[in-house]
This record gives sequence, structure tokens and C-alpha cells, in this order.
Amino acid sequence: MTRGRDERGSPSERFRRNRPALLGLALIGALVIFAALFPLLSSHDPFVSDFAHGIAPSGGPMPPGRAFLLGTDRIFRDELVRLAYGARLSLFIALSATLLATLVGAVVGILAGYFGGTTDFVLMRVVDVGLAFPFLLLVMAIGAALGKTTPETILLVLGLTGWLGTSRIIRSKTIQLRHAHFVVASRALGQSTTRILTLHVLPNVAGPLTVLATLSVAQMIVAESVLSYLGAGIAPPTPTWGHMLFEGQDVVLVAPWTLVAPAVAILVSVLAFNLVGEGLRDALDAQQMGRR
Amino acid sequence: MRALGLFCPVVLMIAACSTPFPPPIGSSHPDETAPRRGGTLHLASFADVRTLDPAVASDDLASAMFEEIFAGLVDYDAQARIVPDLARRFEVSPDGLTYRFFMREGVRFHDGSELTAADVKRSIERALHPTTPNPAASLYDTIAGFDAYTSGKAEHLDGVVVEGQYVVAIRLKETDSRFLSVLALHPLRPVCPSAGDRYKDTWEPCGAGPYKLVPGSWDRGRSLVLTRHTGYFVPGLPYIDSIEWTLSMNRAGELYAFEDGNIDLTHDLGDAELEALRADPRWARFVSAEPDRTVDGEVMNTEIPPFDNIEVRRAVASAIDRGQYHSYKPESLSPSGQALPPAVVGYDPHFVGQTYDYDAALAHMAKAGFPYDPATGKGGYPRAIPYLLVRQGATEYTAQILQQDLAKIGLRLELHLVNWPTFLSLAYTRGAVAMAAPGWAMDYPDPSDFFESLFSSKAIQGEQSSNTAFYRSARVDDLVERARHELDPVARLALFTEANHIVCDDAPWAFTDTRRFEDVAQPYVRGFKPHPVWTFYTATTWLDRPGSARRDALGFLWSHPAQSLHTAARARLSGRSW
Amino acid sequence: MRRLVTKLVWAAFVIWAVVSLTFLIDNVLPSDPARMVAGPQARPADVARIREQLGLGRPLLVQYGAFVTRLVHVGPWHSPSGDAAHATCAALGPIHIDLGKSYQQRRAVIDILAERLPRTAMLAIAAVIVQSLLGISTGVLSAWAHRRALDRVIVGLSLIGISTPTFILGLGLQYVLARQLRILPVDGFGHTPVEHVLGVLLPALTLGIYGAASYTRIVRDDMIGLLRLDYVRTARAKGATEPAVVLRHALRNALLPIVTMLGLDLGSLVGGAVVTETLFRWPGIGAASVAALLDRDGPLIVGTVLVTSTAIVLTNVVVDLLYGVLDPEARG
Repeated sequence: MTRGRDERGSPSERFRRNRPALLGLALIGALVIFAALFPLLSSHDPFVSDFAHGIAPSGGPMPPGRAFLLGTDRIFRDELVRLAYGARLSLFIALSATLLATLVGAVVGILAGYFGGTTDFVLMRVVDVGLAFPFLLLVMAIGAALGKTTPETILLVLGLTGWLGTSRIIRSKTIQLRHAHFVVASRALGQSTTRILTLHVLPNVAGPLTVLATLSVAQMIVAESVLSYLGAGIAPPTPTWGHMLFEGQDVVLVAPWTLVAPAVAILVSVLAFNLVGEGLRDALDAQQMGRR
Repeated sequence: MRALGLFCPVVLMIAACSTPFPPPIGSSHPDETAPRRGGTLHLASFADVRTLDPAVASDDLASAMFEEIFAGLVDYDAQARIVPDLARRFEVSPDGLTYRFFMREGVRFHDGSELTAADVKRSIERALHPTTPNPAASLYDTIAGFDAYTSGKAEHLDGVVVEGQYVVAIRLKETDSRFLSVLALHPLRPVCPSAGDRYKDTWEPCGAGPYKLVPGSWDRGRSLVLTRHTGYFVPGLPYIDSIEWTLSMNRAGELYAFEDGNIDLTHDLGDAELEALRADPRWARFVSAEPDRTVDGEVMNTEIPPFDNIEVRRAVASAIDRGQYHSYKPESLSPSGQALPPAVVGYDPHFVGQTYDYDAALAHMAKAGFPYDPATGKGGYPRAIPYLLVRQGATEYTAQILQQDLAKIGLRLELHLVNWPTFLSLAYTRGAVAMAAPGWAMDYPDPSDFFESLFSSKAIQGEQSSNTAFYRSARVDDLVERARHELDPVARLALFTEANHIVCDDAPWAFTDTRRFEDVAQPYVRGFKPHPVWTFYTATTWLDRPGSARRDALGFLWSHPAQSLHTAARARLSGRSW
Repeated sequence: MRRLVTKLVWAAFVIWAVVSLTFLIDNVLPSDPARMVAGPQARPADVARIREQLGLGRPLLVQYGAFVTRLVHVGPWHSPSGDAAHATCAALGPIHIDLGKSYQQRRAVIDILAERLPRTAMLAIAAVIVQSLLGISTGVLSAWAHRRALDRVIVGLSLIGISTPTFILGLGLQYVLARQLRILPVDGFGHTPVEHVLGVLLPALTLGIYGAASYTRIVRDDMIGLLRLDYVRTARAKGATEPAVVLRHALRNALLPIVTMLGLDLGSLVGGAVVTETLFRWPGIGAASVAALLDRDGPLIVGTVLVTSTAIVLTNVVVDLLYGVLDPEARG
């Protein structure tokens, strides 16, 4: 695939030229600042209902206005500060789960790709079973086994189910590397497997892995909000975007802001990470990635 | 990115368009009062009905349908009094142990066969047979021979005696003041000979009620059509030819269908819609409230700390601001502080029971040994209390309000969300749940349903109990036992009133509200009134409908503000050439 | 041929593993199906009796053994309709498949699945049609208008498309098209063929738009490359018109990976677009699996998992074989 002007320069230079990717980076920055600082600055408590000022004259939640910038939710708590708390949770869970999933996926993928044979076969069967398994049931099972749903259990669930796709891609990449001349040469020279893996395989896999990880954060944000939407996420009153979406559905006709706010929040965060991920992938040259 | 910028304002703009209610479709002959025969009544329901066998069903929607399909020896009238139905009359023996029913003659089942006393006995034995999964069988455990029959030791139920072709007597082993109330319910109602004497899940429901279910007219999960039973024993009734029930309909769809005149009667509308309807002078008088049948409250397990301490329970009962619960759902939750809902015969609206009193709550906490200082936030009960609730259920919001209220007296709640099946498996099990709000819906309109199931220690059977607070009070047990055998209604009511006082004071439950449904009927649905026991009681309802009442599917587009968007778009498109 | 057989054998193994795991988990999670059937108002004595009637008191291994031996067994070719032993079986000649009876609906699980599978298939096919039409056409357009305004708009929209979770997209479409403009039903399957078609539009659009967003980019990437290849340049030099070049030469080659992806997507869609079916109350396999999970209706949970895992695994096998034929590099 030939490319034109965009392909000159080092990966970081290519990334810096990529305007949508920079926008994504900026959005992520804004999100992090919003999540970290806004709850400290706001005068509202996300867990306290304001029965005095939070109820509109018609009896429903207060629409966006001066007192409540994004209005109030069904039981009259400030929507904006809850959104910020939700941002903290979403980011924490998505980033941690991605870390876990990427680690496991990389290890499994590299082992399966490098050693081949029985290891590969067994690991890939496990992946097959994992992919065919009903996700919801797994979530319920883990939640029940561990007692209650906390951010830690959610990130465990997401991490332990999110590595499957990554492992397949890293596996095929490792297979390609296994046949690469420098690896073949190293083996012929008698270098230990560990050295080969750390010196040759890992650095070459790092690029695609970073791209996968960034895109995976976006997927984790979505997955966490789906779980919360379906009611399998973190228990109220802790605000999560997915659950806020679910609460907003019922009153959308009288209080549409309760639905629109978390929807836009999810959309913007996922978009931001996708933009950065795409930018990274373009910068690192798509040809190395192979087809998805 | 520009697309994103466009998206939001458009959505908000559309969101800002309000949805006024269209004018109601009026009655064709509003001044006439004589009922007219004919027409089809269209009903809809959010829920689905899983089975229409009266011996095994347990959900609300099924009850509404059973009233149409099956007639019983006795029934409830519009004031929830017991009146004879299939029986012409009945008499109770002086010792209160024998109930004799003299049945109407010539009553026909839907399949044409005659209903006699033998059918009554067969139906009762079928419903109480050991192989029948009847969730309400123990309501009838005072019938003589019940234990032997339900455990399989006896071939027949001795307490039900066929004394003649049209006379049947039911003998009890002890006096039971609620017997007629439970007999009026569905499980024991006569079923056609096709049902046989054993439960089979392939049986097509068939009884002697005003409507019959024609085979093939139940499209599972989708719809159900009931047709008039021309051989119904009350001449002239029912007025309506058929009832068409759409099942598993979502609330928004029901609303639109109701607005268009495609549904005639509904009780599933949401609070926002009900408020809008009540505020609209054209619709206001067609919105009527059903008497509340369900009591809600925070159930505190008296066997698990800190709720083994009566002062803590009293503190909780005084700490809940019931007005706040009400404010989140004003149309469907009525604040209440007592054990009985309004639909129960003998309900006293002037009895106040538990009330909100913050200072009293703090005083109770101090007496309990966990004083709390609101200014510093110090004190209170040191451990977090697990509160069990159903995820995405109605209590999710009230639980969060409760959490805030109890935090103000030094009690910290931790919400544990589980799904409905897990909730059911835990809520009735000893030692499993410290606090929850399962609520209780009225099975029959009598205080004994509430006190025997919820506050009597007899309801605790081993590790399971419908008395989810596992509350034991010798005084309440005594009052309930005496009420069981007390046949004088006035004396009986006095016993329950005393029990109500004790329960409110001992506070195994912090009663919060009763749940209300509101029925909305189209103006052309005449003769309909909400019934205290049955949803959609349509025995004397008739339709007075103009010929072209239904609006066509696209008709609503033109009666909607979005019409301007639509016509504007079309105008622009026609002006442009491609 | 041997590859096919091996793959099928392992597919069967995976399906068996998934179904067994499901059975195990379902029986280990705390629940009380008897209480589910009896309802919250039932007294403990009645619940206990129903529990016995449902046969739930037996040890796990016994229940699993009974389940497995009934799952696929040999029975009479034509069993009479009143035959209780085979009443809940689906018969393929002498081979019977029995998934038991749903606790809640008291009907054979096979019947419930047979009823719902066509509806999910209808949704899956509609979604795939929307997905491919929308995805391929916008991808082609975008590649042809490479680096011009149209290209940027389409790339931007597709990025938003893959960033919008399906249920938010569904909620948004539902809100605008069904609740405000009211041109489509809010949800449900309807009762007449016309209503079926109207009802499938929103969920199909939701799934389709989301899927199309990723197709667009793949088609675009491939087409951009292909449009510069030698043989395409030759075709242009020979005077072929632009549309002909685009459609006949480039698109045909770009379609190969798309077709394989379509296959995978179809499989996972049949596997149950659970959230979308729930959101739009589409009475398919996905909605049944969620309802069964929430109701703890064991036999139905196992039945839906069997169908969805079979769909996913089989389409994976098919796609793997196609890949092996088309792309030698993938044969690791």
C-alpha cells in the first residue's frame, strides 16, 4: 500500500501531524481534569438529594439551570457532579481492566505464537470457549462468587474476558516474527528462549500492543457502561454512566437531560480513545498490523 | 467532528417539543344510560401471563383474566363483600365448621356441559392434589382432610362433600373466619371436565365465567382473545362481545396506542403521563384510582443486629420522611405508616401509625445505646448494614433515599443489588437478609392476609418464612389466633386494630407507603369502575363507540407538533432539483 | 477434508464445554427456581412442595448426568403426540435432541427456541443487509473521494459510529424516530407481517449502523490501495470509465475480506444481539437468554447458550476455512 505525504518522518512526528488524534488526546486530557477536579470544586454532593431546590415546579427533576448546571436526576441529585464521579469510575475501571487484559493477552498470544504445537492448540481452544461463552452469565457468576460488585470485581471480569481478541492478534504477529530472519538466526545461535522473547519478540510486539491497548480502553468504557446499563455493574448510589443512562430512560419524556448527559459523556470518551488509538496505528504504519 | 456538533442541538430541539394529549374520543350517546351490547374491548399489559390454569398461577395479570374466564361459588362485589356467585345462596352452620352451598341449576361450562356439585369437588381436589404446583394451596389448610389429601395419604378430600346434584358442603377442621374470603379467590374455582382430576400443563383453560378462551386465540407472549360465553348464567351479561388483550407491551407503546384509541382501558401509564392527564380538563374525569392493595415498608430482620434492638427499629420508623418517598413518584406511592392498605376491608384511614419525627428518631437511637450527634457526625451504629434490593426494580430509588435518611441518624446502609430470582431465594430465608423492602400485595381483602403472613410467628416454618422480619410477638400471635376463630366481624376488626397498633410500635417494618394504580378509560367505555380486588373488572362494562373511532397508523403524525418539521422538510425537498 | 472433520470435532467439543460450564454455573449460583415459579406471595409450605415437584433436590452430578443423557439420545422415528417420554424432544429421524422444559413457561425449550430463532435470524439478516449496503457504499464513496470533503465527513461519521455503543445508538434512534417523530414503533415484534417489518427496522438500523462504521473503514482502506495498483491503472489507461474501474476491478477484490467478516458477524448476531433485542423487546434468542438468566430458568438458559455458542462456533469454522483458502499467511 503506497502512501503519500503523510508517511514521512518518525512515528511520533506522524502522530503529531494527525489532527484528529491530537483532538482525541486533548479530549482525554479534559476528561481526566474533569474527573479529578470537578467533584472537588462543585458545591453539590453526588449522593445527596436536594428535596428543597432540586424539584421542578411540575414535580419532576429540575432542568439544567443556574443552580444545577445539568439539572437533577430522578431523585433530585446534581447531574453534573454525578457525571464527574462516573468519569472517575469509568476511567479507573477501563484503564485497569485494559492493563490486565493486555498483559494476559500478550502473554497468551506470545506463548501460543512462539511455541506453537500443543501449547498453541490448548490456548486457542481456551480462547474459543471464552469467545463462545455468554458474557452476562460469566459476569453474574463472578459477581456471585465474589460476593458483591465493586470496581475491583468489575475490572477483574472485564480484564479476564477482554484478553481473548488481543491474544489472537498478538499470536499471529508472533508467528510472523518467529519466521523472521533475526529470530531464526538467534535460535540457530543457541540464544535462550527468554532472551529471544525479551530482545526480539517483545519490542516488535510493543507497537501493535499499544495500539490494541488504547483501542481496548475505549471498548472497556463501553463494556462497563453496558454492564451498568443492564444492572450488573456497581451498585447505586455510586454514579456510573451506564446506570445513569438506564435511570434516564424512564423519564426521558419529562427530563431528557438525564439521558442525554451520560450518553454524550460515553460517546465523547470512547471517541477520544478511538481517535488516539487510530492515530497511533497510522503512525506506527498499518501494514505491520495485518488485517483485523 | 462537525457532525457531532450538529447532532446535539438537533436532539435537544426535538426534545424540547412537548407532547400534548390529543382530545379524547367521545362516547357516541353520552346521555344514554342503558347499556348497549356489542363491541370489542381492547386491553394491554406490560406483563406477560405464563399460565391460565387457576390452580397454579401466581401473578397479578392472570388474576385479572381468571375473573373473566372462571366463576366461583362466591365472589367479591364492588365493595369487596362476599356475595354468592355460582351458588344461589349459602349458609354457615352455627358452630362455624360447615359451609353449605346451594348452587344454581342449569349453569353451563364453556364446553356446554352442566356444572354440578360433583364438578365443584373435582375442581377443588384437582387444585389441591399433591402433584399440582399450586402456590396458594396452604390458604385452604383448614378444610378437613387437607393434610391427608395433600400428602398423598388420602385418595379424596374428605372435607368437601357432595350432598346433592346441586348442593355441596365444605367442612372445616376448625373455625376459620377467613374461609369465605379465600374461597372467593381463583384456585378452587370450577374447571371444565376436560381438565380432568389431575393437573396437566397442556390443558386449554375452560370454566364457567362470562368469557371463554377459544382454542387458538392465545398467541403466547403476544395476545389473547376472550369471547363472550353465550351460556353464562347471568342473563344479558356480559355486554361486550369480546376482550382482546395485548401482552408484553411496553409502556410507551401502550401510551401511544391509548392516545390513538387502539386501547380502551389501561392501568400501566407512568407518573408523568398520569399527571398530564389529570391536569387536562378533557381527560381528568376518566382517570380513576384503584384502591391501594400493596403495602411497602423497610423490613428489618429482628434476628440480625442491630434490628434485634427494638429502639433501633423505632428510630428507623421515625427517621424516614415519607413525603420524600412520595415526591419521587407522586402518582403511585401514597405515604402510609400502618400495616394495612386502603383496599382491605376494615382499613382505618384515620389511624396514623408510624410518622416522621427526626428528634424522636435521635432519642430512640440514644436509648438503643447508639447515640448519634448530627453536628459532628459521630456515633451511631458502627457497622454498615447490608440492604438487599432487586436491581433496576422499583425500590432502587427509594433505597437511595432511605440511605440518606438513615445516615442522618447514624445508620450506614450498604446497598446490595441482586437480580429478582436471587432476591426471592434470599428474602424469605432465615439469617440471609438484614434489611430489605419486599412489600406485600393483598391476596384477599382481609386483615388476616397481612397479619398472618407477615407478623405471626406461625408463618415462620423452619428456615423459611413469609414473615420476612422473623418477628415474634406473643400478643400479636394471640390476637391473630383469636381473630381466626372470631366470627363476629366487629369483634374481629377490634382484634386486628389492636394488632396494628402493636406492630406499628414494635416496628418490625418501617411502613413507608402503599402502592396505587390508576385506571384510565376512554370516554366511550361506560359502566367501568375500579374494583378493590380485581384489576379490570368488566362484568357490567359496555362500549358506546363511534364507528370510526380508531385513528389510522399515520394519522397521529399530523396531529403532532413534529408535523411542522415533516411538512417543512417535504417542502424543501420538492423545491430542489437533483 | 480432514481439516474440516477436525475442525468440526473441536467445534463440538467447544460447544459441549460451553454448555456444561453454563449448566454448572447456573446450578451453583444462589437461586430458588421453585420460589421463582411460586411467586413472592406463596407460603413456604407451597414453595417446598413445588421444589419437590420440579426435581430440584437431587445432587448436581445426578442432575448433570440426566441432562447429558437426555440431550442427545436415540429414540423412535415418529413418537405419538401423547408420548410423555419424548414430548419435549426435537426429532431428526432416530436422533432426538431434548432440552427439557422451561420452569417458567412450562413448555418444551425446543419449542421456545424454534419459535424465536426465525425472529433473531430475521433481525440478523436485516442488520447484515443494512451493514453491508451502508458500509460498502460509504466505503467506496469515501475511497473514490479520497482526501476531499466527502471523504473526511464519512471518516468522521464512521469514527463516531464505532465510538457509539450500540445501545446508546439504539436509544437515540428510538428517541428520535419512535418517541418524538413516531414514524416507527418504539419496540416489539408486532402481529402482522407489516408490523414485523416496521418493528425490525429500528433494531436492524442500530446494529447495522454500528457494524457499517467498521466496514466503511476497511472497504475504504482496501479500495484506496487497490485503486492505485497496476492493473487498475492499466484499466484506466485503456479508457475504462471511473465507475467501471471502481466497481468492477477494485470493489470485487475488496469484497473478499468483507464477506468473511460478514460471516463472523452473522454468527455473532445470531448468537444474540442481547442488548439490542432487550432494548427493542425483539422476541428473539438474545431476549430469551436475558429473560432466562434473570428468571433463573435453568433449562432455557442452557438452551439459549447452546444455540448461540453453536452459531458462533460454526460460523467461526466456516470463516476459518475460507480464510485458509483465501489467505495462506493466516495458516499459522
